[in-house]
Amino acid sequence: MTGFDFSLIADHSALLLTGAAMTVYVVIVSFVLAFGFGIVVALLSFLPGAVPRAFLSAYSIVLRSIPFIIVLFIVYYGLPFAGFHLSALLVGILALSFYKSAYYGEIIRAAIVALPRGQFESARAVGMSPRQAFVHVIAPQLVRGLLPPSTNMTLTLIKESSVLSTVTIGELTYQGMVMQGATYAPLECFAAVSGLYWALCAGTAWIAGRLERRAGLAQKAAIDRNPLAASFLSFERPKVRR
Amino acid sequence: MFEQAYLFSILPKLFSAAWVNLQIALLIAAISIVMAMLVTIVRTAKIGVVNGAFNFVASFVRGTPLLVQIFLCYYVLPSFGIDLEPLTAGVLAISLNSTVFLSETMRGGLQTIDPGQIEASLALGLRRSVIWHRVLLPQLLIRILPLLVNELTIIIKGTALLSVITVVEVMRTAQQLAAASFRPFESLLGAGLVFLVLNVFFILLASVLETRLQKRAT
Repeated sequence: MTGFDFSLIADHSALLLTGAAMTVYVVIVSFVLAFGFGIVVALLSFLPGAVPRAFLSAYSIVLRSIPFIIVLFIVYYGLPFAGFHLSALLVGILALSFYKSAYYGEIIRAAIVALPRGQFESARAVGMSPRQAFVHVIAPQLVRGLLPPSTNMTLTLIKESSVLSTVTIGELTYQGMVMQGATYAPLECFAAVSGLYWALCAGTAWIAGRLERRAGLAQKAAIDRNPLAASFLSFERPKVRR
Repeated sequence: MFEQAYLFSILPKLFSAAWVNLQIALLIAAISIVMAMLVTIVRTAKIGVVNGAFNFVASFVRGTPLLVQIFLCYYVLPSFGIDLEPLTAGVLAISLNSTVFLSETMRGGLQTIDPGQIEASLALGLRRSVIWHRVLLPQLLIRILPLLVNELTIIIKGTALLSVITVVEVMRTAQQLAAASFRPFESLLGAGLVFLVLNVFFILLASVLETRLQKRAT
């Protein structure tokens, strides 16, 4: 070992940052698509009858069983079969979104199932419009149930996006491999790559933590304001305000 | 066009390659369960430096992709004079990854154990090692059994990534078949089917175990 050469990383910082930017782009687009598709899949599972629920289970078991790298390659080689000739980037994003939609679908379904029954009807009964009932009563509770598991899943999404390097999409891992090919310095390359992933994940976790705290604060404040509610819903004695 | 006959003809080859994945995965699972138990026991000793070091490593492992960790073990360790075979490097990387996640699972499991048991054990004069060996670990392992099986499916999926460092398992076999036959779609679909069969078995096993254990608890 000849020591750690920071200048190598500095020389290739543009390459690495392009890769990181591509990873961020892929992750954001895939998150939006996967979450949107997850909502559709989750809502479909509430259709009457056993078939829709069984469909969601089968869908999620199949996708949970197969490694993402294989799903990616199946989509990559399968789309041309179906007559679609798309760029590697688009295929990668579609495969990642499709793969993750099963996981988000399960999370969204669980959050909906966890909602207390009759909330919507109660809100309507006290004179709220359907829109008000959703925005002020249902949505805040949904968000609280969705945030923690979605955060975890999104961190997995960031990490899983590294597999896209195997179909030549120029994201962070790929650019790290390019840099390694040019410098023959694996230590510096992968130190930089893992440092950047680490930062991306830490940043995402930080943002999610703030959102969670904000979503939780409203609930906590509402309970604290109401001693009667607190006597049922809180495990702690209300703190004396200083 | 899609060739069903070809797909069926390669399935035997892919299933025999799956044996490699299963063996690697079971080896990794064994290593990481043992390592995670040791790490968890050491963590409960609350030695500041040790726990700090573990938290640092855990944060790294949880914040970076498994693929990058595999590359780290395969490409970077040689610059420290540790030159590993692809298979060994892969086993090391995935074991490290699973150890971290399993240790967190075990921490969660420990919190479900009644503190009264510790008081009772101490009152009986049991030594620390005996408490772990005879009281805590057996209960802990039973309680987290579904999660252990779940981790096994994650490990099995992880073994497919070893194809990128030239370990010949299902994915790599499928790629070789694809290159020889110019039928990548069927080959990879076959690989997908193999993983589906392998993991559906374990996913169902985990859910059966979970309902069994829940029934026993009530």
